[in-house]
This record gives sequence, C-alpha cells and structure tokens, in this order.
Amino acid sequence: MNIPESHLAQEAIAALVDGELACGPAARAARHLAGCAQCRMAVQAQREAKEALHASSDVAVPGDLLSRLRAIPFTADVPGPGSLAAGPGQLTVSGATGAWSVSLDPAPAAADRPGQARWLRRGFIGALGVLGAGVTSLALNLPTDGPDDVRPSTVARAGLEERTEIVPPVVRTTTVGTGGVQRSADQGGTP
Amino acid sequence: MPDTADPAAPTEAWVAPTWEQVVRDHSARVYRLAYRLSGNPQDAEDLTQETFVRVFRSLADFSPGTFEGWLHRITTNLFLDMVRRRQRIRFDALPEDTERLPGTAPSPEQVYSDTHLDPQVQAALDALSPEFRVAVVLCDIEGLTYEEIAATLGIKLGTVRSRIHRGRVQLREALAHLAPRRPVSGRDAVPEGSAG
Repeated sequence: MNIPESHLAQEAIAALVDGELACGPAARAARHLAGCAQCRMAVQAQREAKEALHASSDVAVPGDLLSRLRAIPFTADVPGPGSLAAGPGQLTVSGATGAWSVSLDPAPAAADRPGQARWLRRGFIGALGVLGAGVTSLALNLPTDGPDDVRPSTVARAGLEERTEIVPPVVRTTTVGTGGVQRSADQGGTP
Repeated sequence: MPDTADPAAPTEAWVAPTWEQVVRDHSARVYRLAYRLSGNPQDAEDLTQETFVRVFRSLADFSPGTFEGWLHRITTNLFLDMVRRRQRIRFDALPEDTERLPGTAPSPEQVYSDTHLDPQVQAALDALSPEFRVAVVLCDIEGLTYEEIAATLGIKLGTVRSRIHRGRVQLREALAHLAPRRPVSGRDAVPEGSAG
C-alpha cells in the first residue's frame, strides 16, 4: 500500500492537470501522488507549462486585416449552390439552411467601426432635427415686420419637413435686416 | 450586442448574423489562434483571411450552434495544411529563406507588442511539432475540453491526452532551454514529507 506499484500514465497526468479525469481515476491518482514524488514533479511540470501559456492575454487584430475581412463578401467568389441576391443596401447570401445578409453600406472612411455608419446616419438626422429646432427658435425671435408676411410656424415646419431646405429661410432672413438678425442670432443661439 | 451576450432573450429562432457581426465577434479569436499556431503575424493574417473566406463560402450551409468549433476546425486544418505544404517544399530542397524576406521576420519585441505573449513562450511553442502545438494551444490557450479537441482535430481522446502531455513536456524543456534562470524543478510547490 505504501509503495506505488506503477507510476501514473502520462495521459493520466495531463488529464489530471486539466481536470479531465473521472472521479474514480482522479481519486486513485491523488492517492498515488501522495506517495510518489516523481509523479508529483511530472504533474507540476504539466501545470507550469499550462500556466506559461495561460498567462498570455488577448491579441489585437490589425486594422487592415479587419477591413480585408469585412470586404470578403465583395472580394471572394462564392462557388456552389448558394445564391447571392443584391437588395437595397444589402447583399443576401442564401443556401440550404438560411440566408445571411451583408450590409452594402460602403462607408469606407468609417469602416473601422462596425455599425458606425448607421449611428452616424442617425446622429446626422438628429443633428438636422436640432438644427430645425434652432431655426424655429430663430424664426420665433425674428422681427416680424419683414416684407414677406411669412408666419414663423410655417417657416419652422418647412425647416423640419424638408431637411435640405433648412438654409434658404435663414439666408432669406439675413436679407431682411442685418441688425435684427444679428441680435436674434445672439439670443436664439443656433446650436 | 444582440447575440449570446444577452441571456434574457430566449433563443426562439436562430437569426443569421450579418457578416459584420461575424467578423466583429470572431476575428479576434481566429487571429489569436492563428498567431499562436503559426508564430508570426504574416502567417496569422493569411490564415485568418483564408479562414473567413472559407466561412463566407460555406456559411449558407452552416448549421447553427457550433460556430466556434467550426472556426477552430477550419483554422487548425488550414494551419496544418500550410505546415505540410512547407515541409513538402523544404523536402524539394528549395533554399529555405525563399518564403520570407529577412526583414519581415518580427523581432521578439514586435511579437510581444503584437501578442502580449512572452516571446520565449511563443518561441517554445514554435519549437513544438505542429500536431503537439495544435493540441496544446487548443487546450491551454483556447480552453477547449479534450472532447472538443478530439472533435476539432478528428483524433481519438487518448491521442489528445498523449499529444497534450508530450507537447507540454517539450514546451517546458524548450522554456528551460530558452531561459535557464526559470525554475525548472517544480519540487518547491509540492508539500514535502513523504519520501518513502
């Protein structure tokens, strides 16, 4: 009982270190290790090697590799039965088990962040909305004795509905009276 | 964001991720694995690129649930293919430095800043035979179980065990050789007493 008849098998030593031994064999191995310095050293050696590797942390993917990976749907040819379908703004790869969509938003400048284009667009629209609100407040503060009798609310609605048409009313008001616009711009505070 | 990180959402139906999501969620793991296996950034990039090309080509036939295992399998198989191809080339007696210009071999400092892996550890890994290296990396860096490694490599459980064991023994010898100041003997960590 005191003298171990045979040492642990190499496979068992590795499995013990990785917690891959079943309860029974693990208990037997523990009993053996208690009395066998040689096997204890072998176990310790396995642990050290494992820890040396385990200490390594994550790797950063190079940016140019990331953009190449993102571009694969456009650079790699797809053989076989799968089909490619281009829709508005996206590419759909379909096969036996389902379909995958690939965003076709080009945005190569903003390609280093996934999903950024969408947020950018949303943020842009939000900024336009804020700009529209600014136009509203500006219009409300404008002197109303202008030559053309445009009510501020209609100006504001035009600014909100047609985002590309924000500039004209502002430009037009500058022709009304420079002093007044200057003052109201200071008060209204276009963001 | 919308995928596995959200445990509250029940998985009623598998929704195919976009390619952006696939790249974002898996590129770091694939690149790390490729780097640990190949030991240099150039091969790691090539392996990663090729892995994702394979993924893209066959993702229509992909069955949900085993994405990580699938990626591990593709990456390791591509790595082993690459190694075997180079061994064949070397066997054909080409000059051995045709594959890489001397200037592109990364310095240990470069490797460390890229990977945060001790360059000695990476060098010791590189010294292992590819089959042992794959088993050890999948176990100790990727954290796969023996069963998963066996499935990934298509080998038996006993083979996994013995490759991991022998790989670690070689790794430790290589580490001791590279850094003699490293404590080689593990005796101090074991409670003394039974010298029977």
